[in-house]
Amino acid sequence: MAEEQKEAKPKKRMTATQAAASIGPLVKEFITGTLRARAEGKQKLAYTFIVCHHEEILRAMDVVPVWTENFAGICGAKRDAERFLQRAESLGLSRSLCTYALCGIGFDQWREELGQMPPDSPWGGQARPDVMISTGQILCDPRSKWYQASQQFMPDVPIYNMDLPYPMFQRDQDHRDVWGYYHKYIVKQLRGLVSFLEGQTGKKMDYDRLRELTDLSDRTWNLIDETYELRGAVPCPMGTGDAMNTMVPLCFMMATQTAYDFFVNLKKELEEKVARREGEVQQEKYRLMWGGGLPAWYALNDFNYFNSKGASFPVETTYRMVAPLTKMDIPDTQDPIEHLAWRWLGYWTFWYDKAKKRPGSEPDVERLINWIEEYKIDGIVMHEAFSCRTWHVGLIWQLHQLAKIYKPIPVFVAGKGGTKEKVYRELPSLILESDIIDITSYSEVDTRNKIDAFIETLESNRISKAS
Amino acid sequence: MNGREKGILDTVERYYKDYGLRAKDLSAEGKKVIGYMCSFVPLEMITAAGCIPFRVRGNIHEPVTTGDTLLETIVCPYYRSCFDLSAKQKYEFLSGLVIPHGCDSMVRSYSVWSYSLPFSYFHFVNIPTVCAESSFEFFGAELNTFRKSLEKFTGKRITDDDLAQAIRVHNEYRDKVRALYEFRKADPPLIAGSEVTRVLTVGSSLPIGEANALLDQVLAEIGRREKTLLKKGPRLFIDGACIDNIELIKLVEEIGGNVVADALCNGARDHFPHTDVGGDPVDALARRYLGKINCPKTYRENKAGTFEGDTATRFGDIGAYAKEFKVDGAILYVYKYCDPFGFEVPARKAYYKSIHVPLLHLEDVYSGGTMGQLRTRIQAFLEMIG
Repeated sequence: MAEEQKEAKPKKRMTATQAAASIGPLVKEFITGTLRARAEGKQKLAYTFIVCHHEEILRAMDVVPVWTENFAGICGAKRDAERFLQRAESLGLSRSLCTYALCGIGFDQWREELGQMPPDSPWGGQARPDVMISTGQILCDPRSKWYQASQQFMPDVPIYNMDLPYPMFQRDQDHRDVWGYYHKYIVKQLRGLVSFLEGQTGKKMDYDRLRELTDLSDRTWNLIDETYELRGAVPCPMGTGDAMNTMVPLCFMMATQTAYDFFVNLKKELEEKVARREGEVQQEKYRLMWGGGLPAWYALNDFNYFNSKGASFPVETTYRMVAPLTKMDIPDTQDPIEHLAWRWLGYWTFWYDKAKKRPGSEPDVERLINWIEEYKIDGIVMHEAFSCRTWHVGLIWQLHQLAKIYKPIPVFVAGKGGTKEKVYRELPSLILESDIIDITSYSEVDTRNKIDAFIETLESNRISKAS
Repeated sequence: MNGREKGILDTVERYYKDYGLRAKDLSAEGKKVIGYMCSFVPLEMITAAGCIPFRVRGNIHEPVTTGDTLLETIVCPYYRSCFDLSAKQKYEFLSGLVIPHGCDSMVRSYSVWSYSLPFSYFHFVNIPTVCAESSFEFFGAELNTFRKSLEKFTGKRITDDDLAQAIRVHNEYRDKVRALYEFRKADPPLIAGSEVTRVLTVGSSLPIGEANALLDQVLAEIGRREKTLLKKGPRLFIDGACIDNIELIKLVEEIGGNVVADALCNGARDHFPHTDVGGDPVDALARRYLGKINCPKTYRENKAGTFEGDTATRFGDIGAYAKEFKVDGAILYVYKYCDPFGFEVPARKAYYKSIHVPLLHLEDVYSGGTMGQLRTRIQAFLEMIG
């Protein structure tokens, strides 16, 4: 059967940091850890999603999170997603839907049909959950629909769907005028999660522990910000390729001492590299921003290809799912649940005030502008993954708007009478197209041709730069 | 067909073909016409503000061009078409636009709409994704924010009495639509599915008072029909998002079927649920739009604990309509890139099987260019069930 066939193993990507190189075993350990927990049967396992500000609650209740997006990403990175995608298609699910979800649903259906893991499942497979925690947010429909679809094959596994909205950016509205009722609602939704888990585990929430874990997460948030700021050095000590590894503790291991320690070590490593002027690329010629889109997990080697052309990536908007709490304008509270809700709102509205001050700007565009300046960026690369509307709709427009309101490259042009005149040009940008895990949408040759052409543009700008 | 019938149906045809004709005139007279996307926008609020709600529509015959320069092609094709027409200034007579949290395509493109189009008013209404008591409370607060925003735009205070009056007239419209559907119960039906879609599409482009008057005339005319022009054939149900072009339904009719009922955003899903009267109007609106509009985007808890119990709760309205309108088969028509409906396909298929209604699932891209392929598939389906 086609679905039994696995694709060729990808070449391993070169990392710039020791920290990034250590991620593989870490991920494998927490996947196998969920399988161990399943076998032991002492803890409840919860299917769930990243970026929900609920890790503290799960860990305080000793519930083991099973990050379903992570498992799908692993299938993609190991080029072993196709057989699960085909399973999902055979159920009537369109390939145009989120392929993380399709991979997960295909896997679940197969595992439930067999009563055991599908043959040769990546890293032993994805453990059967006791509960599923969906998050209907203001974005990402699949987060609300995925587990509901999986429940068809596991009707005994209950779902708690937690609504986590945030106020949309509206130029004529101050988000603080409305966030009171948003906060109230989010707090109720999070408390609902606590009582759901109390019912499922038979244990009461230990609020002192929750407070400690929330404090640990907050400290990790600030530490990550300080660590990633070091990437602003020239040459850049760590690029986006590595950040696609270090997103693991950032997205899957928050509220653990391991995640905190990981970033302590990464920060130390980056400080040492900066002191030695050791970069991701030694002869750094171009500094690029990964300005949007999830990566093609099966093609992370493309980052090495950029590096081979002298391009480094000091910053990315993808998976930078934290903002410094020290710069966040949110009320203080001793109640950890209330704090989680404020942190949620603080994160999503982080760029609102700045965006309002710049005519024509908008939070996503404002973040690009700020980081272009902070990280001394020469060009922007984005990735359009066809199956995900959540992170990929609006990217074209962001580039348009950016070009309209922000032109940072000074160049000389021939003016009237042959005099040299200084004008300002917008940053060049590149949009790559494929998918997060569906490798059938990817062409290495086309992608690299596009990268080559983009590098030529960057080189032309470098030569004509008038500064 | 008598002369009088031809008169009102000609008006419908004219407004359908030149969509927005009346709204354009009203705008020229100084009225504020507010465009909206999706059934989640509380129209009563717009009416109570003294404005005219106008459903932005796509066109399956118009290739998407300008829209693609600003919006990704992975957006729902229906929504892309609506944006494309707006970007080409088809709806330049609008004073503003309201977009709700209906799906990712709407949320993620809100900035694209609000920065690219020249309207002086934009508002985003956040719709909860779940249906808990706290969700209604939150949604009520969000509706009050919408109310304030409209008040600021129009300079007119919206009182509870204004809202109660708006609720009354919009409920009247819903009653009339229900009455129109009654004509579909005969076999063959007294009104064609394509006529119903045409009337409802036009209705969503008129001030509610005029829409009510139009429906009155249509109801009177259809009521006078002595015999139908339709032939007996398989009675079909259409399930899906928004179908605001009649081609698909006409196609079914051309090959011998009759579309007699639906669960569509611009059909029964939106028009059958009423807003409660007599209590707090904002709370009533929150409960109608969140609780009663059965959209796959809204998560409803599986209280039964079984798959069959869950689907019976989620899709029970379909089963009830299928029975009431005596359907022989159903078409589940889903747009490519539509996550809310797309993820429900296996469960919906299972549900139709459980109620013994044969189902044809079609994935399409909101284009006149696909009608040939659809014809073949629908023809085969009709032969199978006929």
